Amino acid sequence: MTDRRALVTVVDDDESVRESLPDLLRELGFAARAFSSAEDFLASDCVDRTSCLILDIVMPGGMSGPELQRELAGRRQLIPIVFITANGDETTRPRLIAEGAVECLLKPFGEKALLSALSAALRVA
Amino acid sequence: MTAPRVTLTGSWSGCQVANGDDALINILDTVDVPIVAVRRDFMIAGFNKAAADVLGLSPADIGRASRDISVLAGLPRLEQQCNRVIASGVDSRADLRDGDKWFVVRISPYTKGDRQVAGAVLTFTNVTAFRASIDQAIYEREWTKAIINTVADPLVVLSADQRIQSGNRAFYTMFGVSRDETQGVPLYELGKGAFDLAPLRAPLKEMLAGSHPFQPVEADDVFTAMGQRTLILDARSLALPGHSERRVLVTFHDITARKQAEAAKDLRSEEELRRSEAFLAEAQRLSATGSFSWRVATDEIRWSDEAYRIYEVDPAQPVTFDLIRARVHPENRVHLEEVIARARRDGGDFEYESRLLMPDRSVKYLHVVAHGGRNHNGEMELIGTVQDVTERRLAEEALSKARSELAHVARVTTLGALTASIAHEVNQPLSGIITNASTCLRMLDADSPNVDGARETVRRTIRDANRASEVITRLRALFSHRETTTETVDLNEATREVIALSLAELQRNQVILRPELADHLPPVSADRVQLQQVILNLLLNASEAMSDVDDRPRELVIRTARHDGDRVRLTMQDAGVGFGHHGVDKIFEPFYTTKSGGMGIGLSVSRSIIERHHGRLWATANDGPGATFAFSIPAAAEVAGNISVAVAAPAATDVVHALGEL
Repeated sequence: MTDRRALVTVVDDDESVRESLPDLLRELGFAARAFSSAEDFLASDCVDRTSCLILDIVMPGGMSGPELQRELAGRRQLIPIVFITANGDETTRPRLIAEGAVECLLKPFGEKALLSALSAALRVA
Repeated sequence: MTAPRVTLTGSWSGCQVANGDDALINILDTVDVPIVAVRRDFMIAGFNKAAADVLGLSPADIGRASRDISVLAGLPRLEQQCNRVIASGVDSRADLRDGDKWFVVRISPYTKGDRQVAGAVLTFTNVTAFRASIDQAIYEREWTKAIINTVADPLVVLSADQRIQSGNRAFYTMFGVSRDETQGVPLYELGKGAFDLAPLRAPLKEMLAGSHPFQPVEADDVFTAMGQRTLILDARSLALPGHSERRVLVTFHDITARKQAEAAKDLRSEEELRRSEAFLAEAQRLSATGSFSWRVATDEIRWSDEAYRIYEVDPAQPVTFDLIRARVHPENRVHLEEVIARARRDGGDFEYESRLLMPDRSVKYLHVVAHGGRNHNGEMELIGTVQDVTERRLAEEALSKARSELAHVARVTTLGALTASIAHEVNQPLSGIITNASTCLRMLDADSPNVDGARETVRRTIRDANRASEVITRLRALFSHRETTTETVDLNEATREVIALSLAELQRNQVILRPELADHLPPVSADRVQLQQVILNLLLNASEAMSDVDDRPRELVIRTARHDGDRVRLTMQDAGVGFGHHGVDKIFEPFYTTKSGGMGIGLSVSRSIIERHHGRLWATANDGPGATFAFSIPAAAEVAGNISVAVAAPAATDVVHALGEL
């Protein structure tokens, strides 16, 4: 069963993603928050409450998605992570999953793929 | 002259002469020389007919004092002279002028029968004509002297033993001597012995002996009153008809000024020749053009210095066809033999391209042009030039290679990297569109539809669709140039477009980009796509050079600036691995790469493009880590004409196709 009240946090430097994805997540029944950088997320009060992290891979000028993943692992914050990326290739997904990610979605992704990834993530949690 | 004695014994015609003797008187009257007899007391004793005719004496003058006879008054000291003649018995002479007539008057004693001297007899010899001819001679001589003295060249007359007799004014002036001090002085003592020359003495002697005419002799460093001079001496033998005496006329011609002028001219023309040879050599060196000549009959071949340089042969070595054959590329030897054979057969002109294979296995490309003709000896000779066109040929080859490489680069390498950028740029809005559309559907499908929310998501959908559309527009702009065209390009704008399309790649490599694009940058005249390919290439190289860097920020600084006043420069400074042990020089060589997937052509192609834009592309190692690549190209006004290279830009269909596969 999907916990529809679970907090899904989006970390992406792209504004349109930060606007649109939380809206969809809410329509899907999740609580949603969005941050433009890993640093902002780490500094927020969401770290402990987040049930699933939807994380961009490349975020210029700051910590990348995989770096945040390592940082959280270092803090023993085991938040399921779904990576999203606009320019990944066939090697990206296996690599990230090998490092502990639940899923890696290549943009643009549909609602179905998102739900499936979230389901997997929340199951993990 | 012996004095004729006249003895008067009688009276002359109508005159009272003692011991009159008609026969004698008759004889005296036939003499046309006036004769007048004067007694001891200076009275006229008698005269002959000529005296009456010429001197105007009349019988009445007999017995008159001689001083009273007007014609005799012209002999002022006649009485004293007569006294001396009577006393001494020795003749005397006097000159007499009577009107325009001149006479020489001889005064002789005369005796009577007792042999006592009775008086003097005056005979008047008319010398008027003689005197006139003497005057004329003197007159002519003075003219001659005046003429000779005006001759600028010194002249001197020598005796047969070569002693100085007389010279003209120029002669005395030249040697600073007077007539007196040089009279009789041997010529060889003149001018501090300058003329004491074997080439002068012997010919002078020979000339005087009549065997050889004298050939002019040049005497250098002759001491004269005007300093040391160079003189040409000429000599002529002088002789008077009927006289055996020989004299020598020596002329001196001062050629010092001419010699100096000639020496200066020689120096000048030597200098001019040297200069023009130097110019030619320099021109040959600069243009890498040597010259040669070939005498067909003797196979005598001559090369200019530059030709030796081109063939890389020691200039001391004589040029032979064997030497040339040894240098010519084996594949061109048959052609060379054909050209030689044809030139031998037909002469004429030829022009051909050839190659040399140098000892270090490098290849040189030559352009040979020759013109055949007859030289001044009438021999067939070919003269030509041999130009080292290696650089040009390599540039052409590089260019043609670059053309195909560029097409390849655009389709494979660059487009591959671009694909990531394009994917990112397009996928972001696509992602937004799908997400928003999904949200919208859900809002509208709810039991109580959230129309306001749906409206907002539709608005965002449109915005993201527009964003995707802009990406496509930008791509179309970038790839719309099917053929190379030169246009006015804002380097900053072109750079920004490249950056925009490369952001994904830069982000993937976690590159921190710091654009420092100068304000008010003058536009350049360029092929925009090519220029952007260069920028993209440099940018991707920089990004890749930093991909393994973890101990420092992967900072990339892109700067644009004015350069050298009329140029524009772009520099790309990375913090990557730098050149390492590979060195800067190698990186521009085609097919040199340090990247596992690289083709090693990016930089050489980029350099070709920049050089085609009259620019320069270079690389330097940073003081700190990394490298800086830069190019500079002239600002728009400086580029003349179009860039004559056609490079196939990636076809828009290729991009669309690539996008379709994502």
